[in-house]
Amino acid sequence: MQKILLVGKPNSGKSLLFNQLTGLRQKVANFPGVTVELKSGVFNALAHSAGQSPNGTQQPKFELIDYPGTYSLKSWSKDEAIAIERLLAAMSDEKTSVILCNLDATRMERSLVFGLQVQEIAKRHDKTVVFILNMVDELLRFNHHIDTSKLSEKLGSPVFAVSAKTLIGINKLQKGLSEIAISQEKYNVRATEINQQPFAAAAKILAKEYAIRPDVVLKRQNTIDRFLLNSVFGGIAFLLIMFFLFQSIFTWAVPIMDATEDAIGLLGGVVSSVLGEGILNDFMTDAVFGGVGSFLVFVPQIMILTLIIGLLEDSGYLARAALICHKPLSFFGLSGRSFIPYLSGHACAIPAILAARTIESQRKRFVTMLTVPLMSCSARLPVYALLIAVLVPDVSYLGGWVNLQGAMFFVLYLFGIVTALIVSSVLNKMTEGSKEHQDMPFILELPSYRLPHWQPLFYRILNSGTQFIKRAGPIIFVVSMIVWTLGYFPNNGDLQNSYLSAIGQWIEPVFMPLGLDWRYGVAILVSFLARELFVGVLGTMFSMQNADENIAGLAANLEIDGLSLASGVALLGFYVIALQCVATVAMLKSELGKNRYAWGAFVAYGLLAYLVSMSLYTILSS
Amino acid sequence: MTVWDIPSKKSASIKSLCTAMHADVAIRLQEMGFEEGQLITCIKRTAFNGPTVIQLGDCIYSLEQSVANHVNVSAI
Repeated sequence: MQKILLVGKPNSGKSLLFNQLTGLRQKVANFPGVTVELKSGVFNALAHSAGQSPNGTQQPKFELIDYPGTYSLKSWSKDEAIAIERLLAAMSDEKTSVILCNLDATRMERSLVFGLQVQEIAKRHDKTVVFILNMVDELLRFNHHIDTSKLSEKLGSPVFAVSAKTLIGINKLQKGLSEIAISQEKYNVRATEINQQPFAAAAKILAKEYAIRPDVVLKRQNTIDRFLLNSVFGGIAFLLIMFFLFQSIFTWAVPIMDATEDAIGLLGGVVSSVLGEGILNDFMTDAVFGGVGSFLVFVPQIMILTLIIGLLEDSGYLARAALICHKPLSFFGLSGRSFIPYLSGHACAIPAILAARTIESQRKRFVTMLTVPLMSCSARLPVYALLIAVLVPDVSYLGGWVNLQGAMFFVLYLFGIVTALIVSSVLNKMTEGSKEHQDMPFILELPSYRLPHWQPLFYRILNSGTQFIKRAGPIIFVVSMIVWTLGYFPNNGDLQNSYLSAIGQWIEPVFMPLGLDWRYGVAILVSFLARELFVGVLGTMFSMQNADENIAGLAANLEIDGLSLASGVALLGFYVIALQCVATVAMLKSELGKNRYAWGAFVAYGLLAYLVSMSLYTILSS
Repeated sequence: MTVWDIPSKKSASIKSLCTAMHADVAIRLQEMGFEEGQLITCIKRTAFNGPTVIQLGDCIYSLEQSVANHVNVSAI
């Protein structure tokens, strides 16, 4: 299949354009460095554009490859290096038909400097370049229009004006690109007066003639920045936004979680009454509705977390947060850019570790990647929510805006962040000997503020829930089944005299210093496969033990069972720190290139979690 | 005078990039538009000597002190 390469400056709307041209749903956001890996999809050329009948059977297809954004063809960060190396290789590939160069229409001059560099290399390899002026909807707000025909004449390559967000010009681009991709030799780069000049000079001339005046388009952004970056208000706004983020995960999700819990309980009751007494009924009630059901209750929280992080990413605030955090983070050997992987790590550590690629300094990247797993990811959410519901009273203040259980969430997230900062300091000291001769400094482009685009955000939220269920659901089902089988036999549901109890009591001494009995010990051990298993396994065991209680009401069951405050806090401390995710260890290995770093982190965080947990229990129970 | 010395809401013109600067950083700055004669406006100074926020052409950048100190400017 012939290839079309999609390139451009960071945060120029490439990923959204890629999605519109391929029908895929790649992640988009409003900060530089969202695309850190090459992504590919299929662009179906419109048949009639290729001179075929509309009902023709042969619809030409092209592989469209989205490259990470770069400012130039000389890299200084890992994501750019990948993009540039692969881009230069693809330029000389016979299968490459067209290079789509995406330009930010609101920041035309800078975009053109890179665009003209790409055009020059493409010209040397006889490749066709198509310039896309993206985000024209922003220009239209100021009644600014660009004559693409004249601009195309000057650039010596076709130009299309589009908005991948509002779909302005997308149809025209699809038709035009289809025609160009099929007959690309007709559209090869022509030498013009402009494209013979140095890139910066040519970009300046073109921007002067066609671009919107910077003071017009940047006026609103600068006004907002004067407030959000203000020494006093900016810091307060940042803290309030972060508090609101973690608070809302709890408070917004409660009605949906209650409804899910009721629905699972109702369904469990119906299934139980249909099945009648017996082993199948016990299995369905304890393993399926008790184990898997208690984990499903937390899916709404994960979706709400994705919504809020998505809103922050799309609005353009993340880059400002990175700027605000730069100075404080630098005290711990990190960069302001570390903030973005840290925040993403609250959803999932795997994309967050990838996001750390955009950090220019190798040492800061290393420290960030190793400490991202300390951010409280969504897999920890069910554990936190369950234990908070048991330990913290449900009290609200300020007309319901501040909830005590929600505030406890904030404290736990903060605990993870503080631990990460302490570990970063230690790692920073340890790696000082291997310090690069000169660390790359913090230079960040601040994107414009934009209203989030609802469609990609909606798909991201949906995806976060479905992926969570798909990833953890099967393993929770299998483990719940095994735990139930071991707990049910040989005495038909007598948990205390089961095989599971025998195994649990053998390992119980390890968890005694944390004030936890064998049931929690089994749940903790199993959750080293995946954290979510903790809730599923406890759900199965307590459901077996309290067959007459509410099927999905695990928190109530733990409370009745008498989980002490000291043990509960010790458990929370353990889960904040321990690295219980095989996928994260694999990602660390892949990004850091060495097994010893990945498994070292796994062991070190496990030991640290145990020590912290034991200390918490000892202090609180004395 | 360097970019770091430009007060908030004031502008200056770029004179040169300091030769002591790391070559990769200097190239990156040039590609971002830090060239002689370009007008720079300081949009915001952040707290505790955090990165300065500047407008250069149609872009807004934040630069930390170590790099802002290496871009020489003249007041206008």
